[in-house]
Amino acid sequence: MPILSKNFYDFFGIDRRLTLDIEQLQKRFYELSRQWHPDRFSRKSAEEQSQALEATAILNDGYRTLRDPVKRAEYLLTDEGFPVGEQRSKDVPPELLEEVFELNMMLEELKGGDDSARPQLETARQHFLALRTAVDHELEALFAKYDASEPQSETAKQALHEIRGVLNRRRYIENLIRDVDRALNPAGAAHESVEGRL
Amino acid sequence: MAYSDKVLDHYNHPRNVGSLDKSSPDVGTGMVGAPECGDVMKLQVKVNPETGVIEDAKFKTFGCGSAIASSSLATEWLKGKTVEQALEIKNTDIVNELSLPPVKIHCSVLAEDAIKAAIGDYKKKQTTRSSEAVAVN
Repeated sequence: MPILSKNFYDFFGIDRRLTLDIEQLQKRFYELSRQWHPDRFSRKSAEEQSQALEATAILNDGYRTLRDPVKRAEYLLTDEGFPVGEQRSKDVPPELLEEVFELNMMLEELKGGDDSARPQLETARQHFLALRTAVDHELEALFAKYDASEPQSETAKQALHEIRGVLNRRRYIENLIRDVDRALNPAGAAHESVEGRL
Repeated sequence: MAYSDKVLDHYNHPRNVGSLDKSSPDVGTGMVGAPECGDVMKLQVKVNPETGVIEDAKFKTFGCGSAIASSSLATEWLKGKTVEQALEIKNTDIVNELSLPPVKIHCSVLAEDAIKAAIGDYKKKQTTRSSEAVAVN
């Protein structure tokens, strides 16, 4: 039996790059899906069948992770020893904190039944969407910087460090967009208990 | 998850919620946040420039119960302390007082960061003012 690699890049047999050709990735996904399809193992041994099952699981996880630029970057960062989400507030730009604060004030007014904050929230939503787009462009540029560097080099490490900072900022912005959406459209939002917030 | 009575008390009856005049030279403002959970905390101190004693402290926190409790407790402790004494408040003091579980320790860290940021802002304003005074002379 072949030895399965649990590393998504190795499993897909693609280079450890942050910028990926999605069509290429999809093609590999279909090829590997056919190769490991349970139907092809129905007459094989129990070990081989269970390995095919395991391979399919890695394949699906890997495809879901690698096709999404943010998940892909988080995966590679963790793999390279740069766990995401372990940074302190000093890494968040002060202007963004001010905006987050103002936004939360507006959200609170709206929750309190004051609808006058609604147009402001719509504007804020547009603003945060624009911020997310800007952050995504920043990520693209950093991905290219990482891909162009020697593996394990100082430049590579520097790029990963910067990517981590940008990803954390992106997460903050994502949370804001989610909160605004929830406030603007409470019916569509999932129920969240006070206990859950605690 | 179970919360200590002290956390619940601060959460249900937060002390010193509000804001002070940000533009006043005697007011220091600290704004900090935790990217991982999206919490944001604003803590302000009003210092008597003659004595260096913190006369008033206010906060407003958007976040979980532990973050609210940590900053509420911090404002209680700050009042009546000198600026230098305030800088000695450690996040571990908050953890102990509120019996915060390990997963909520970052909330106390945030509160300590907020105190340091607010006092830092106040000190910066004071030095700018004294250098301006020198410039006038």
